[in-house]
Amino acid sequence: MLEIKDLKASVDGKQILKGVNLTVNKGEVHAIMGPNGSGKSTFASVIAGREDYSVDGGSLTFNGKDMLELSADERAKEGLFLAFQYPVEIPGVSTINFLKTAIAEIRQYRGFPPLEAKDFLKMMKEKQKLVEIEANLTGRAVNEGFSGGEKKRNEIFQMAMLEPSLAILDETDSGLDIDALRIVAGGVNKLRSGENAFILITHYQRLLEYITPDFVHVLYNGRIVKSGTRELALELERKGYDWIKEEFSEMPV
Amino acid sequence: MALTSEKSGKKRTVAGEDELFKNSGVAGKWLGEIEQRLGDTNPLIKHIQNNAAKEFARTGLPGRRDEDYKYTNIRQYLQEDFVARNGQENISVELIKPLLLNNSVNLVFINDKYVPGLSVTENLPEGIAAGDFYFNKDRVHDKAAQHFNKAAGESKNPMALLNTALAGNGFYIFVPKNFILDVPVHIIHIITGEVKSLYNPRNLVYLEENSQLTLIESYHTVGDCKQVFTNSLTELFVEDNAVLENYILQDEGAGSYHSDSRFLSIGRGGKSNCVTVSLNGIILRNDSNVLIHGEHAEAHLNGLFLLKGNDHTDNHTLVEHLAPNCSSKELYKGIIGDSATGVFNGKIYVHPEAQKTDAYQSNKNVLTGDKATIDTKPQLEIYADDVRCSHGTSTGKLNEEALFYLQSRGLNKQLAKKVLLQAFAKEVSNTIKNEAFRTFIEKKIQEKLI
Repeated sequence: MLEIKDLKASVDGKQILKGVNLTVNKGEVHAIMGPNGSGKSTFASVIAGREDYSVDGGSLTFNGKDMLELSADERAKEGLFLAFQYPVEIPGVSTINFLKTAIAEIRQYRGFPPLEAKDFLKMMKEKQKLVEIEANLTGRAVNEGFSGGEKKRNEIFQMAMLEPSLAILDETDSGLDIDALRIVAGGVNKLRSGENAFILITHYQRLLEYITPDFVHVLYNGRIVKSGTRELALELERKGYDWIKEEFSEMPV
Repeated sequence: MALTSEKSGKKRTVAGEDELFKNSGVAGKWLGEIEQRLGDTNPLIKHIQNNAAKEFARTGLPGRRDEDYKYTNIRQYLQEDFVARNGQENISVELIKPLLLNNSVNLVFINDKYVPGLSVTENLPEGIAAGDFYFNKDRVHDKAAQHFNKAAGESKNPMALLNTALAGNGFYIFVPKNFILDVPVHIIHIITGEVKSLYNPRNLVYLEENSQLTLIESYHTVGDCKQVFTNSLTELFVEDNAVLENYILQDEGAGSYHSDSRFLSIGRGGKSNCVTVSLNGIILRNDSNVLIHGEHAEAHLNGLFLLKGNDHTDNHTLVEHLAPNCSSKELYKGIIGDSATGVFNGKIYVHPEAQKTDAYQSNKNVLTGDKATIDTKPQLEIYADDVRCSHGTSTGKLNEEALFYLQSRGLNKQLAKKVLLQAFAKEVSNTIKNEAFRTFIEKKIQEKLI
């Protein structure tokens, strides 16, 4: 589904990703962990197509298509979703209207007619229930005045509505209390299927107690330096990141 | 209720007192050109008009050297070879139809001329006077004459003086005591005419105690209108506990130059909400002057200017607090694209007796064009010591984070921009309480943002 080869990217002339390799197949959940500043959020942004990052080398294909040729919205229309670490507040734009527009755009791209109003409302209700988000939140302007937990839940709700085939969750667990974390994780688990895939970017393994990953990767200094299974996350939890830093800091660039 | 308008028909003769100005530069020239002045039927008005002409002969047209016109050089647009005229043109019903608002009184003016034949007045309740100044002479004209220039009279603004001197006609609305007019009055102001014409529509709105009115004014150009200068002036009196909602849409073509002066006087417990939406026009200058002279009064001034190409819109506001315990709120927002220029100059003046004043002013702008500019100047002058006054201004580009957020959900960049700009504009359009007009305006905004 997702094929990343030797991906290099920089921002403001500073190289952040120094050759990342990753393959994600349908039905898989990958966790990407790493210390602060290792390039995790850059990695998420580059996949999603953020313009301030320049890709200096490597390839990124999604369902066989070269993503580097596509803009952020086209990538979304191809089935990619990024849940933001810091969801943006957009005063004056209601979540409902925004999602209606987004879904219409995505459907048009794929050659489908817009959803009927009643089907859209039905879908809203279903997904609200699925991710346990209150209807009053989705009636308000996007994330405006939301608490940290509400913003993250709104990300999961939008993900549920847009039904991406690959979702990247960028530190969705950060700043969440245990109840919010349970709800967010519950939403992901309910959406998980043999047809879609997830990349969970996280600093702590806490989230992985709720969502069991198939693979765990450690991103450090712009590279994936270690890959394993859930055991690796537990090891990181026990030992911290220092041993990774020691082991890989001398790696030639 | 029948509505009539008088035609003066023949060219007015410049004689007697008028003779004094005949040779006083451009004021005298224009005075000689118009056929009809308000004062032609009322000596009191005539006297005021002549004084204004005298005063204007001294000030002349404003230009860059005048601090208040630093960014809007009127002399560049209104030149001496312009001809002062009264409205004459006829236009077809078909052109007016799309501009009519349902469930409203629609009064059509072509330049300064009232056109009863195109107006829709069946919703006008008995007891309300709405039409031109000469309408219903017996009862209404006196009230209009009494208040002529009472709100604008102190102003030394050259454009206001010019309007007073040359004013021929305009809309007049009188709402008697305790009358709540629940049908909005919509003035459709059509700008048209020969190249290099000057029109000076003069309007007066009078709300007696405890009365209420929603007044909508929309300015449109029709036909091949080039270099037509409209110098409009509206006096609005909101007496004790009266409530005025006033919405202005400026949807004018590239051939229109428009200076709009507004003098609003609010009495004790009165409330006014004035929203100006400027969508088109190569040169627009709005002067909104609010004088709060009674306690516990409330004034809201809001504006949205959406500029493209070489559009130029200059909003000047002056809110004067003369009485204690009053509040004023101002919100002006600009979306400025291409090489357009926006200007905001807002002044709050708190007189010593206006204790416990609560005044706030805000100007926010988004520049969407590389050559777009905004000159913004908020001013506070406070002579009372127990007040709450503040102002804020911000100018920037669209939030890149928000743009990427919307794009990451499948909206292309252009659509994402549009969604954000619409939301930005909505803060102002939301202050239009009349739903039909708000919908009408929001549709216009949407079209302009494409």
